[in-house]
Amino acid sequence: MLTGRVFDIQRCSVHDGPGLRTTVFLVGCPLRCAWCHNPEAFSGDTARALTPDDVMAEVRKDRAFYDASGGGLTVSGGEPLLQPAFVRALLALAKAEGFHTCVQTSGAVSDAALRDVWPLVDLFQLDLKHQDSARHAALTGQGNGDVLATARRLVEWGARVEFRLPVVPGFTDDAENLDATAHFVASLGVRALTLVPYQRTYLGKYAALGLRARCADVTPPGREALQHVAARLQQAGLAASIAG
Amino acid sequence: MQLDVPAGAAAAVPFSCPAPPGLRLGLHPKNAAMKARLLSAEHALCFERARYATEVYRATEGQHPSLRAAKALARVLEKMTIRIEPEELLVGNRASRPIAPPIAPERGDFTFVFRYLLEDLEAFGYRLTEEDRRLLFDELIPAWDGKTVRDAKLAALEAHGLSSTLNASPVELLRKLRAFGVAPLARLVAPRGETTHLLARLPRLLAAVKAGAKDNLKGRGRCTDTQAHLVPGHKNVLAKGFSGLRDDARARLAKGVTPEQRGFIEAVVLTCEAMRDFSRRFAVLARAEAERADAERRTELLDIAARCERVPWLPPRTFAEAVQALWFTQNAIIISYGAGSGITPGRVDQLLHPFYAADVVRGALTRDDALRLLEELVIKLNDNVVIWPNIGGVELNHLGSDVENITLGGVGRDGEDATNELSWLFLEAVENTKLATTASFRVSPKSPPEWVRRVVALHRTTNAPAFLNDETAVAALVNDGYALEDARDYCLVGCVEPSGNGDTFGATGGTKVYFPTALDLVFHRGRTTFFGNQDGPDTGDPRAFRDFEALLDAFFTQLEAMVQTATEATRLRDAIWAERFHNPLLSSTIDGCIERGRDMTQGGARYNFGAVGGGGLGTVVDSLATVRQLVFEERSVTMDELLRALSLNFRGHEALRQKLLAGPRFGVDDAKVDALARRIVDRFCDLVRAQPTTTGGHFKASLISYGLNVYEGALEPATPDGRRAGEPLSNSMSPSNGAEKKGPTAALSSMARIDQAKIGYGNSLNVRLPLGLLDSSAGVDAVAALVKGYFARGGFHVQFNAVDAATLRAAQGRPQDFPDLIVRVSGYSAHFTRLGRRIQDDLIARAELSPC
Repeated sequence: MLTGRVFDIQRCSVHDGPGLRTTVFLVGCPLRCAWCHNPEAFSGDTARALTPDDVMAEVRKDRAFYDASGGGLTVSGGEPLLQPAFVRALLALAKAEGFHTCVQTSGAVSDAALRDVWPLVDLFQLDLKHQDSARHAALTGQGNGDVLATARRLVEWGARVEFRLPVVPGFTDDAENLDATAHFVASLGVRALTLVPYQRTYLGKYAALGLRARCADVTPPGREALQHVAARLQQAGLAASIAG
Repeated sequence: MQLDVPAGAAAAVPFSCPAPPGLRLGLHPKNAAMKARLLSAEHALCFERARYATEVYRATEGQHPSLRAAKALARVLEKMTIRIEPEELLVGNRASRPIAPPIAPERGDFTFVFRYLLEDLEAFGYRLTEEDRRLLFDELIPAWDGKTVRDAKLAALEAHGLSSTLNASPVELLRKLRAFGVAPLARLVAPRGETTHLLARLPRLLAAVKAGAKDNLKGRGRCTDTQAHLVPGHKNVLAKGFSGLRDDARARLAKGVTPEQRGFIEAVVLTCEAMRDFSRRFAVLARAEAERADAERRTELLDIAARCERVPWLPPRTFAEAVQALWFTQNAIIISYGAGSGITPGRVDQLLHPFYAADVVRGALTRDDALRLLEELVIKLNDNVVIWPNIGGVELNHLGSDVENITLGGVGRDGEDATNELSWLFLEAVENTKLATTASFRVSPKSPPEWVRRVVALHRTTNAPAFLNDETAVAALVNDGYALEDARDYCLVGCVEPSGNGDTFGATGGTKVYFPTALDLVFHRGRTTFFGNQDGPDTGDPRAFRDFEALLDAFFTQLEAMVQTATEATRLRDAIWAERFHNPLLSSTIDGCIERGRDMTQGGARYNFGAVGGGGLGTVVDSLATVRQLVFEERSVTMDELLRALSLNFRGHEALRQKLLAGPRFGVDDAKVDALARRIVDRFCDLVRAQPTTTGGHFKASLISYGLNVYEGALEPATPDGRRAGEPLSNSMSPSNGAEKKGPTAALSSMARIDQAKIGYGNSLNVRLPLGLLDSSAGVDAVAALVKGYFARGGFHVQFNAVDAATLRAAQGRPQDFPDLIVRVSGYSAHFTRLGRRIQDDLIARAELSPC
C-alpha cells in the first residue's frame, strides 16, 4: 500500500497559505538550512507511515473552517516532493473533494517529481534563500541551481507560485542578495515577494532533540529592518509583503 | 461567560492608551475622566436601598405583596441620595457611592454575606463605618431575621427533605476539607490567593461552610435566592413612557379585576408615578447645579434637566432622551431588585435606532455626539459590582460583574439582517471604553461580511466579546415555544442565555447541578464523598456493573434524581417570591403582566421559563470515557482499584493517575468520546425540559459556569479523568483545561457534535487564542473563520481569550498546569511551557506590550 512518512499533521494552521489550513509535514529534506524550523524532518524517528486516505480523514475534519476562510490542505516538510508518489496521490484525493491545495517546497527537487505534482497544486510556496550559489551552499548545504530551475519551470508551466525570502539578519538580508533576488523574481515576470521574518521560537525543538541550531544567536529582525528590506525590494519594482 | 475569578480580578480591567493631544481618537475626554473615576473607585457599600425598603416593609405587614414592593421602591427613589457627576450627560445613580451595589435585604443573600463573609469583603477593600455596622447588625439583619426569601427557602428545603446538610463536628469538617487538599482549601478561604492567614481564618471558614451547607441540595445541587435574569420591557417604556404603562394599568382596572389583581395593578400605577418623581428629582438637581456651572456645563445641565422632566415618564422624542429613558429604567430596575440580578438591557442597537435615525434625518445629531452618549452608557453598564455568597467565599467581585449584557446585531423580527449603524457605533463605544463590558454579538448568515471580522479585531483592545449564532438560538427558542418573530428578537441574558425581548419571565440562572456529582453518587451508592448523606437512590455496587451501559444507566438515574431535586427546590423558592416579594416596576414593563393583572413572579409574563445549569461536562465526559476504556474495554484497571485510588485522592496511586490522565478526552475531535458527550447533554436537556415551573412554563437547560467552575470543583472528590479532589471542574461546555491538545478546530468540531439547539438556555465555549495571532490581518481572518465554520456546523456560542502576560507568567511558574498553552509569533507556533526560559521571557515582555 502506498504510504507517506509523516511526522506531524497540524490542524488550524494560519500561516501556511490562505485561510485556515491543515498542514501535513513529511519527513526528509535534501537541504540543511541554518535556520530550519523543523529539524524533526531530518530523521524519521517520530514519523508514522500513513496512507493518503489516512491523511485525508484528518484533512476532511476541518472542511467547515476551510469553507469559511478559503483555506485547505498544505503539504510541507521537510521537502514533501522527496515523496512524490504519495504527495500526488494525496493531492489527487484532495482536489477530487474540492479542497484548496498548497505545497511548500525547498525547490531542491527533481524535474520528474515536479511534473507529476504541479497540476494538482493551487499554490506553491517556494523560498529563495540566497542568489549567490556559494552562499546558498554555505547556508543550506547545496548550491541554488535546482531551486532557481524549479522556480523557472513552475512559472513557465503556469503554476501559481508565492516566492518567499526568509529574512535572517546577517545571513540573507545583505543588499546584494536583496537586489539579486528582486532581479531574479522580476526576470520571471513575477511582481510580488513575501518576506518571512526569522523567528526564534523553534529553538526549543533543537534543545529537545539535543541538536545545536546554527542560527541560535541571531536576533529576529525588528519592524524597521523589515520595512527597510521591503523598501529596497519595492524600489526594484516588487510588491514586498511581510508574512505573519 | 468566563470571568477571571477571583485572583487578580481587579487588575484584569485594562487601561486605555492616552490619545494624542488635540485629536478625538478613542474615548471622549469627558468619558475618559468618568472612566478614570470608575477605575479608581474604592469598593463601597451603601445601605440606603436596604434601609428605606426595610422601613416600608415593616410598616406594611399584611398588605398585598405588589403594593408593599411598590411602596418600598417609591420610598427608596424618593429618599435615596442622588448626584450628578461633572462629566455626565446621562444621569441616574444607583447608590450613594460609586460602584456600591444596591442591597435588597428581603432576598437574604446579602445577610449571609455580611454575617459570615465580612472578612472576605474587608479583604477586598470594603470598609464599614461604625454607623454602617450599627445599622446592619442592630437594625437590618434583625428586622429581616426569618423573613427573607433565603430563610423561607431554607426552611422549605428542610421541610421537604431536599437539603443535604453537613452534620460534621469541626474536627471532622476540617478532616474532610483537608482530604480535599490544602490548595483548594486555600482558594476557598483566601479571596486573593494568600494562604498565610489560613489558620487564623479557619474558625470563620468552618462557620461559613456549615452555614453555606444548609443551602446544599441533595446531590450537591444549588438554587440561589434570586430569580430575575431577564430582559425588561425597555421597548415598552421607549414606546409609551411610564405614563403610557400607567394608563394601560388604569384601563385594565376599568375592565374589572379580582382583589388580588387590583393590588398588582394599583402597585403598577404607584411605581410608574414613582419613576416620574425620581427623574424629576434629577431635573431639579440639574437646574440647581446649572446655577453654579460655567457656560458650557450650564447648557448641558439644562438639557439634562429638560430630558429628566420628560423621560421616562413620557415617551422619548430624541436619541438623547431615548438613551436617558433606557438608563433610568435599567438603573431603577436594578435598584428595585438589588445587585446580582442578571437584568440586562437587551438589544440596545435595535431599541435606540429609530430615535437615532430620526435625529440624523432632522440634522439634529452628529455621529460624535451619539458616540459620546453610547460610550457613557457603556461605562455606566460597567459601574456595578456583585457580591455573591458561595460556600466559604465571595464571588465575582469586580467591575461589570453584574453583567448588564448588551446584544448587538443579528436578524430582526422579519428574519432579515438588522445590523444597523448603531450596532457599529456601539461596537466602537465598547472598543473605546476598554472595560469588561459584556457584549454579545449576534451573527447570522445574513450579517454584513465585515461584522465578524470587526468584532474579532475588538480582541486587540478589550476583553472577549461573545459571538452568538442566530440560527441555533432561534431554533432553540422556537423549540421551546416562542413565536418565530419573538424568537428572532432574542437577547442574551446574564452570560449567554437567549431570552425574549421584554416578553419573558426568564429566570435564566441560579439553579445548578454538577455532572461529576452524579458519578460520585454512582460510586458511593447514592452518597456524596464530601457530605456523606444518602442523597440519591442506591444504584447498586459499582463493582458489580457488568458493562459500561450499566454504569451509564446508574449515572442517568442519579442525574434524574438531581434534576428532580433541583427543580423542586426552585419551585419552592419561586413560590416564596410569588407569595411575598413582587416587582411591579419590572412587571409593568414586561408584555403580559398588566393584561393578566399578575406580577411576573406569578406568571404574568407572556413567556415563562426556569433554568437548570449543568456544570463540569468536560470533566464527566473525560471521566466516563476513561472508565469505559480502561475498566470495561481494555480491562487494564478494575473498578475496585479505581474506587480505592479515588477515595485516597490518588495518594500512593500516582501510576494509575497518570494512566487516567492519558485516557480519552472530549475536545480533540474523537467521535466516540463526542458521541458520549452528546448523549449526556441530550439526556440532561430532556430531563430538565420535562420539569414545570410555578409560572406555567418549563425549565430549560444551560451549560455555563459563570467562571465559577473553580468553586464548583472545591467540594468535588477526585474524578476518573485524573483530576484531584478540590481541583476546578471543566468550565461551561468547554473541554477540560489542558485537553484541547489538537487546537481550536478540533475543539470546535467536538463541540459541534452536540445538538446545541436542544440547550434552551445556551452553552458557552471559551477558546484560548495563540499569542500574537491577532497581530496580523491573516490572524483576524483566521479567527473570523473559526467563528463562521463553527456556526455553520451548528455551534451556539464562542468567545476567544487572547493570552495575556499574566497567564504566560503563571505558565512559566507552573508549567504542569498549562500543557495546552500555545504561543504563536508570526509563522510558528509552540507549546509555551516547552520553550526555553529566555524565549518565554521574550514572549511575556511582548504580551505586556501588546494590549494597546
